[in-house]
Amino acid sequence: MKPKTIVVCIKQVPETNEVTIDPQTHNLDRRGLAGIMNPFDKNAVEQALQLADQTPAKVVLLSMGPDDYAESLREGMAMGADAGYLLSDRAFAGADTLATGYVIAQAIKQIGEVDLVLFGRQAVDADTGQVGPIVAEFLHQPQITYAASLRLSGDNEITAERLLEDTKQTLVAQLPAVVTVRSELNTPRYPTPRNIQLSFEKPLTIWHHDDLDLDDSRLGQAGSPTIVTKVYEPKPTKRELTSLTGTPTEAASQLIKALKAHQLI
Amino acid sequence: MSKPELWVIAERRLDHVEPTTFQLLTKARQLAGDRFHTVAILFEATNDHLETELQPYAPDEIRIVRDDRFPTATDAEHADALAQLVAQYQPNSILFGATITGRSIAPRLQAKLLTGLTADCLDLRFDDETLVATKPSYGDNIMCEIICPDHRPQMATVRPNTFVAEPATGTAELTPVTVAFHPVERLQVKTATPVVNTATTVGDASRVVALGRGAANTATIDTATRLAEKLGGRIGVSRPLTDLDRFTHDDQIGQSGNTIHPDLILNFGISGAVQYLVGMQSAKTIVAVNSDSNAPIFDVADYGYVGDANAFMTALLAQFV
Ligand SMILES: Cc1cc2nc3c(=O)[nH]c(=O)nc-3n(C[C@H](O)[C@H](O)[C@H](O)COP(=O)(O)OP(=O)(O)OC[C@H]3O[C@@H](n4cnc5c(N)ncnc54)[C@H](O)[C@@H]3O)c2cc1C
Ligand SMILES: Cc1cc2nc3c(=O)[nH]c(=O)nc-3n(C[C@H](O)[C@H](O)[C@H](O)COP(=O)(O)OP(=O)(O)OC[C@H]3O[C@@H](n4cnc5c(N)ncnc54)[C@H](O)[C@@H]3O)c2cc1C
Repeated sequence: MKPKTIVVCIKQVPETNEVTIDPQTHNLDRRGLAGIMNPFDKNAVEQALQLADQTPAKVVLLSMGPDDYAESLREGMAMGADAGYLLSDRAFAGADTLATGYVIAQAIKQIGEVDLVLFGRQAVDADTGQVGPIVAEFLHQPQITYAASLRLSGDNEITAERLLEDTKQTLVAQLPAVVTVRSELNTPRYPTPRNIQLSFEKPLTIWHHDDLDLDDSRLGQAGSPTIVTKVYEPKPTKRELTSLTGTPTEAASQLIKALKAHQLI
Repeated sequence: MSKPELWVIAERRLDHVEPTTFQLLTKARQLAGDRFHTVAILFEATNDHLETELQPYAPDEIRIVRDDRFPTATDAEHADALAQLVAQYQPNSILFGATITGRSIAPRLQAKLLTGLTADCLDLRFDDETLVATKPSYGDNIMCEIICPDHRPQMATVRPNTFVAEPATGTAELTPVTVAFHPVERLQVKTATPVVNTATTVGDASRVVALGRGAANTATIDTATRLAEKLGGRIGVSRPLTDLDRFTHDDQIGQSGNTIHPDLILNFGISGAVQYLVGMQSAKTIVAVNSDSNAPIFDVADYGYVGDANAFMTALLAQFV
């Protein structure tokens, strides 16, 4: 049997969500924030490695982003993945989920004969969770989102459990297929020192614009239907505060009066 | 010229309509005024009558696809059917609940239509015919406004319980529509077991006694339990308290818990982090008790007391008759 090819898509995100807005430019101030692999994507890498324990398979990581995203790819290879592809080009910058999904789908076609594509549940920075289903559609493949468990159940078949708000589903898909995973499905392994060392010998390929078959009108900002028009820190609507004063007993009696006046008690 | 259409995709939850659908229908009516034609899109089996659940929220029209295969259809099959309806009616905008189902079908449809989709929105408005969607990012630390100026339809998924469902007067026109069902043979739903969740959540209560890390000892929780009983309400908690055995995620208020709209909420020992506030700031009356006069919770409170949580609660209980 031919070894399977499993692609895991990973995004690099700021290490903390404590971002602020630059008061001058009104842009997000991400200065000094180191990048890490999107935590949910580690579950996808872990799942791919577990599947590769079940059947001969090559685990390939794929990321679209600036050159420093290579760090997350190395991290994934240190967990045990076999190879990494970085899709890096100025033309890809400013992409929304549609334009991101397009480039990722074209790269997956270019890798060729991919049996399974795994995604994290969502990126913790932009929080959309849209890229997985978009790629599935562009590849014309069945999708299983929010998988709570995933295993190979036949030569060319996967079985997943999916937890909807009111229903637990068991789904069976013929490969090739696209799956997005929940964090509950596994605990990602830590890179071992040996695997860290090995990761530097594993192939990391960088693909630029001309390495892929792309329709330029679908790339980057130009290929993105959505535009972020305003970014701000949420300021909860301030209310007129009436202070309750004195001892707890005095303050409680003031509150009771007020609640009665509003017919709340 | 006919009015542009604003669609709400009705979601099914077992044998009923998922409540987010009603919230979206209410919001759609408010947004529409007399400028838009509001339409609920409903897929149901031949013997279902889920439109009766939609009618009280009075969309202008309910388009019904009756086909026994849809209630159990997969994401791609749903997206395919919706794409056919979009091609036929050319809506201006489409709203989905940001439930697991909505967040799975909407991006698949987006990719078919090559248009924009804004995720998990907390607010919506129209500037002329452009939908301005407000979405949180970075774990709700940042809000952004997103538009999709040049592509139609404009699409958004909206976080459950962001808007309050309110029945309205008006008669929805019922229109049966047909679409071709294109089965995806390579994906089968083998089993579907209802997960019966009978636990009520803090979201169901009209009066809430909310406890945070400053009101987490056993004595305080006991006092709060009695206070909640007296008020005919329920206890809710900030996230750190879900680590205690007495509380679960069903009790949690906030971004990663429940979004609630009670008439009254009393907050004890809660600092007022944004992730907490987004879950409760639309409460009608907000009371805060905190030992720190600078706690951010006081910024959103109508009534505030600087002092010990348990002492205040005990005094309050003593004065209830
Ligand atoms: C504040 C903010 C809000 C935004 N809101 C929206 C919005 O509402 N709608 C919209 O269309 N765009 C939005 N964007 C743009 C969006 O962040 C980018 O398109 C991004 O490249 C992909 O979307 P995501 O981060 O939401 O990923 P998600 O869709 O949440 O990611 C899901 C999974 O896809 C994979 N993945 C995601 N990005 C990559 C990548 N670059 N390389 C490899 N794999 C990847 C990972 O496996 C990840 O776990 C927003 C951007 C910002 C900064
Ligand atoms: C992605 C993300 C999602 C999150 N989602 C949620 C969520 O859904 N819900 C949520 O609640 N949090 C959430 N959080 C966590 C949130 O940021 C805060 O950490 C949390 O709300 C703090 O809870 P607290 O107010 O109970 O505790 P603290 O911030 O520790 O506040 C305790 C307060 O009690 C006061 N106090 C101490 N002793 C007393 C006393 N004896 N009497 C009266 N007052 C006293 C203190 O002055 C202080 O203000 C989330 C965080 C992230 C990053």
